[in-house]
Amino acid sequence: MFDLIIKGGSVIDGCGKPAVVADVGIRGGAIDAIGALGTDAKRTIDARGRAVAPGFIDPHTHFDVQLLWDGQARPALAHGITTVVPGNCSLSLAPLKIEDRARLIGMFQNIEELPEAAFTEAFEWTWERFAGYRQALEQNLSINVAPLVGHSVIRLWVMGDASQQRAANASEIAAMQDLLRECLDAGAVGLSTSFVDVDANMRPVPSRFAYRGELDALAKVLGEPGRQGGHGNGRMLQVVPEFYATDLTIARIDQLAELSLAHGIPTTFSPLFDSRATPDNVPRTMARVEEQFARGARVWPQVQTRPIDISFSFEHPSLFFGRFPTWFRVMRLQRAERLAALNDAATRDKLVAETGADGGRTALGFLRVRDGGIVPASFVGRSLAEIADERGEEVARALINLSLEHDLKVPFIAANMGHDAADRVGPLLAHPLVHVGASDGGAHIRSFSTYGDTSHLLAHFVRETHHLSLEHAVKKITADTAEIWGLEKRGRIEKGYAADVVVFDPATIDRGAERVVFDMPGGGMRYVRDAIGVDAVVVNGAIAYRDRQYTAAATGCIAG
Amino acid sequence: MTGEANTPHDDDAVIIGSEIAPGHDGRAELVVQLRFGNGGIGRVTLDTDAGLRLMRNCGVNDTAALIGHSWRRILEERECST
Repeated sequence: MFDLIIKGGSVIDGCGKPAVVADVGIRGGAIDAIGALGTDAKRTIDARGRAVAPGFIDPHTHFDVQLLWDGQARPALAHGITTVVPGNCSLSLAPLKIEDRARLIGMFQNIEELPEAAFTEAFEWTWERFAGYRQALEQNLSINVAPLVGHSVIRLWVMGDASQQRAANASEIAAMQDLLRECLDAGAVGLSTSFVDVDANMRPVPSRFAYRGELDALAKVLGEPGRQGGHGNGRMLQVVPEFYATDLTIARIDQLAELSLAHGIPTTFSPLFDSRATPDNVPRTMARVEEQFARGARVWPQVQTRPIDISFSFEHPSLFFGRFPTWFRVMRLQRAERLAALNDAATRDKLVAETGADGGRTALGFLRVRDGGIVPASFVGRSLAEIADERGEEVARALINLSLEHDLKVPFIAANMGHDAADRVGPLLAHPLVHVGASDGGAHIRSFSTYGDTSHLLAHFVRETHHLSLEHAVKKITADTAEIWGLEKRGRIEKGYAADVVVFDPATIDRGAERVVFDMPGGGMRYVRDAIGVDAVVVNGAIAYRDRQYTAAATGCIAG
Repeated sequence: MTGEANTPHDDDAVIIGSEIAPGHDGRAELVVQLRFGNGGIGRVTLDTDAGLRLMRNCGVNDTAALIGHSWRRILEERECST
């Protein structure tokens, strides 16, 4: 008898082969059989007319802290994500000495936009070492976690204040190597580092003070014999390169390639995204990636599926107004002066006139009001042009007045401003050397929703633009990801593999509209997107999500 | 620093284009196109803080007015008052 049979679905194995109608039998947390299996099972999921695929793997998240009070990483699990990789961008919650907690919280706040309460109110911080963090995580996991350890915290542990002041000496580098070994032994699947980020005081994070020799020494540990993952990999090195400049990104690709070749490790960098303002960024970057793969190096660029928006309010200056000198000048005034200027009728007239003869309809009418608990629900999601018409105002004047009526706090969004050209992003996502990821799940929670990227891939680039077949898209977020990261026995519907399975409707799977929830510790807000078209999610053989409900199953584990 | 047009040295990188673009963190960023002293052309993306600082240092309120300024202006007045 099987523990669970998923009956009659269109089974996509994750390796890219055409789907076949079959049953999937699960026993002991693993896939036990695929075929015509009868009905002898404790539980059954009727999957007729549905796709049955390996659970999706999200390789770039910051769920480090959320997982401590929400082992389902909501709403990621509902979108079919069964494994997440936290600890990216040089930051993880271990190893960390008690006296350094405030400093790390500041980094998380500044870089990933996570509220302080998330670190202070929702869990008991009992650990310093990585093994202790793992133990805390494992208490109530519904989703699998493949955690990275952050270079910045390793450096902070070994060097203290000096970690943000200078290069390490030989003994400090050796101590970092030992600490990294300890973390890997405790379940870390690799090391993350950053060449970009700054802390709460706008100082470079510790990892940025490392000389090349330090990173080389740590990469050497990742490639030590016996540390290989399930597909013969060394352990992963994840990097945030200087993505603001293509030349610098290319230089980092070269550095990562040398580390990959020297130590037999995979490396990955993110983000890489397309923009009309930098049209040669992706082609030049990918050309270098291809060149380095041809040499035998593994330097995986992570590319997100969702487009990029610009959001702003009148509370803070935004470069969005960089084309309108008077707007730009007013927005940079101190708050009281800014309010006075916006309340001045002559200034308002000048602002409106500056946006064009149509009162800003062309330049600003496409903006939409975002949810944020600020404006009445009747405004949320509507275009500024529509609202202006309703109010009988020019668009620019409606933008100003709406902001004034709500203490300048109204959030506006210019949606799909970058990484939105399907004819450029679609082929990029389909590229065999592109690693689909970079969701940033669990981060930037007050700026935009980082959930539902896999659903967007399947809805937009499979169903709407046809840049990837369903089987190809599933492969990119399951078997490919598991192989790149060396996650043993995950990412495939195959006998003996972990029973991480998602059952979904290919005709409807999607991400819902962005909405605000106040479910963070301390009542903090975040933007989320609900899952559409996902019937069931199975994690290590147990049904963790079904019929739009999370279950009590807590079968997630540390995956490696 | 004032907004008067500066005179770049021959070997300076000079701003020859500017554009607002979406950033990874959902905020508007400033992409500047540069011509280097040797004739090469490249682009750099500035986040909000750096972009605001560059515009302030150059004394401009319009991204188009950055054109012709020396790229070295990014180094002036590192503290950005917003």
